[in-house]
Amino acid sequence: MAIPLEARSLSLLRAGNSVLDDVSFTINAGEIFALLGGNGAGKSSTLLTFLGFLEPSNGDVLVNGSSVRNDIAAARSAIAYLPESASLYGHMTAYENLSYFLDLAGKPANREDIDAALDKVALAEEARTRRLQSYSKGMRQKTAIALALLRETPILLLDEPTSGLDPVAIDEFHDLVKALANNGQTILMVTHDVYGACQIADRVGLLRGGKLVGSFSAENGERIDTETVHAAFAERETA
Amino acid sequence: MFRHMTREIRFLAKDRGALFWLLLAFTLSVIAVSFGVTEVREQRETIAALIKEDASDRANALKGQEEWGSAAYYAFHFTYAPPSDFAFAAMGQRDSSPWKHRIRMLALEGQIHEADTRNANFGLVGRFDFAFLIASVAPLLLILLLYDLRAAERTSRRHDLLVATAGYSLAIWFPRAFVRIAALTILLLLPLWSAALIEGTSLTITLQASGIAMAALLIWWIIVEWVNRIDASPSILLTSLIGLWLALAIIVPAISKAVIETNNPVPDGGEILLLQRETVNGAWDLPKDATMKPFIAQHPELRDYAKIDGPWAWKWYYAFQQVGDQKVAPLAQQYRKARLERDRQADLAAFLSPTSFAERAFEKLAGTDTRAMIVYEDAVRGFHSELRAFYYPLMFPEAQYNPALLNNLPNYVPPS
Repeated sequence: MAIPLEARSLSLLRAGNSVLDDVSFTINAGEIFALLGGNGAGKSSTLLTFLGFLEPSNGDVLVNGSSVRNDIAAARSAIAYLPESASLYGHMTAYENLSYFLDLAGKPANREDIDAALDKVALAEEARTRRLQSYSKGMRQKTAIALALLRETPILLLDEPTSGLDPVAIDEFHDLVKALANNGQTILMVTHDVYGACQIADRVGLLRGGKLVGSFSAENGERIDTETVHAAFAERETA
Repeated sequence: MFRHMTREIRFLAKDRGALFWLLLAFTLSVIAVSFGVTEVREQRETIAALIKEDASDRANALKGQEEWGSAAYYAFHFTYAPPSDFAFAAMGQRDSSPWKHRIRMLALEGQIHEADTRNANFGLVGRFDFAFLIASVAPLLLILLLYDLRAAERTSRRHDLLVATAGYSLAIWFPRAFVRIAALTILLLLPLWSAALIEGTSLTITLQASGIAMAALLIWWIIVEWVNRIDASPSILLTSLIGLWLALAIIVPAISKAVIETNNPVPDGGEILLLQRETVNGAWDLPKDATMKPFIAQHPELRDYAKIDGPWAWKWYYAFQQVGDQKVAPLAQQYRKARLERDRQADLAAFLSPTSFAERAFEKLAGTDTRAMIVYEDAVRGFHSELRAFYYPLMFPEAQYNPALLNNLPNYVPPS
């Protein structure tokens, strides 16, 4: 079985500056991999190369064993992407947004399916027929997660998914992501939240200045030690 | 693709901003077409009323006449270029060139050029007709509908999510733009089609006009699409597109017009009128031979009747009227030729401006272009020649006046 996500000696230049430098990692099916790093570390750029928006200057990125540059559409169809501060359409309701994006993905869903997904992300029923412009950030994020659920893709890319969420919403989100991984979905999450990453990730990669400078794994069913990762993160950031 | 289109139709139905511009487009189209239909109907009514009055006026004028010369002098004849059944869409040169005259047997060129245009002010500012709407206003509406298609999504940080979800860019931007342009085109054309049905415009002309409108909008779509590829904010894109519109719709046509007019000087209609009047008025003081010689050169069949014995004769009077025409003929010819040359060059220059191209194409279809107006002037000249051909054989031999022969007066037939 092909590896869902793989970066092979990935390097990326933007406007003459090195954004990623020889980054390699693989993420197996059902695994949650958190890419941790400060601002400008290259986290979001890594996600965008998997989506084909940025082309590696060296190395390659592979989705399900195939180079993204060979078939961007195939790579994207295997991936549900949740951008930072997911911005769905404010003038449309949750139902309308989800219908629109699912149609766009070529996977139309009926009202029952949408309700089931919104139940999973615990979006209040009364809110579902309201326009998103009246939603809190957490509610918008839940709607975007529901979209990712409904697409039923084998891979999920999350860009700072808990940024701006309250602690309760973060816990709910973590539970949801874990459930998805347990269902076999491969999850690549980029974040600067050390605690959150250690809470749910099977592995954490530490990215700094475009280089993968550290890697931490959960051993024997234990969580990754937050203190260790935080120390490494802080050391690297201040180095 | 059908799936993408239905999705974007539903999306458009929820976009209030886009719906506003589309509603405005429909309203403007209704107004433009209504103006055109009203104007054409007024012109037809004017023509019908004048045709009716023309016959009775002439009958009154001819009543009691005793000479062919005085009959020809007092009898006016109404000439006109009727609006085509598509003129409501593009009034074109009908606003700046006369489309009706009352002429008589006197020197003709002055009569053609002394006629005022009915709406000289429109010749200056232009008319809000369908051709203007499609050529100049519709591109602005199209820009407003499309300029931020990508940029607004980038600003809202939704662009990557949309493209990643769709799989490829074309799956979202093409149907989204296409649906808007299709809606704009249909809403602009609906009033035109309705008016075409009411006015009895042929299907061929209606289809051709629809094709021109679609082609004009397609060209602007390509322009907007090309600019929209620039990774810039919506305001910068809008400014750039408005700048391009200004250049292509106003500046390029204005420069082309200035260059064409400078390179092709056209004598003023007033010059023709003045020269002819000077010639005609001057003839009173010239020896009669000075008039009759050049006249007979044109009408050798009347040589035997060219001798003028007394101080006055109608045939001498009409001879110097014709010599007045002969005198200004080179100027009138130059005027005609230069207008046609300007028109030909304007056709070529229109390739630089989609606005000019669409407007001129509509005028050609509507028969309101420069060539159509020259065809009308030629029809007036032809009719005037028929009048001369009717009167000269009676007037020059000084035949007995016989009102019954007036039934054989030529009838003006407008150009079709």
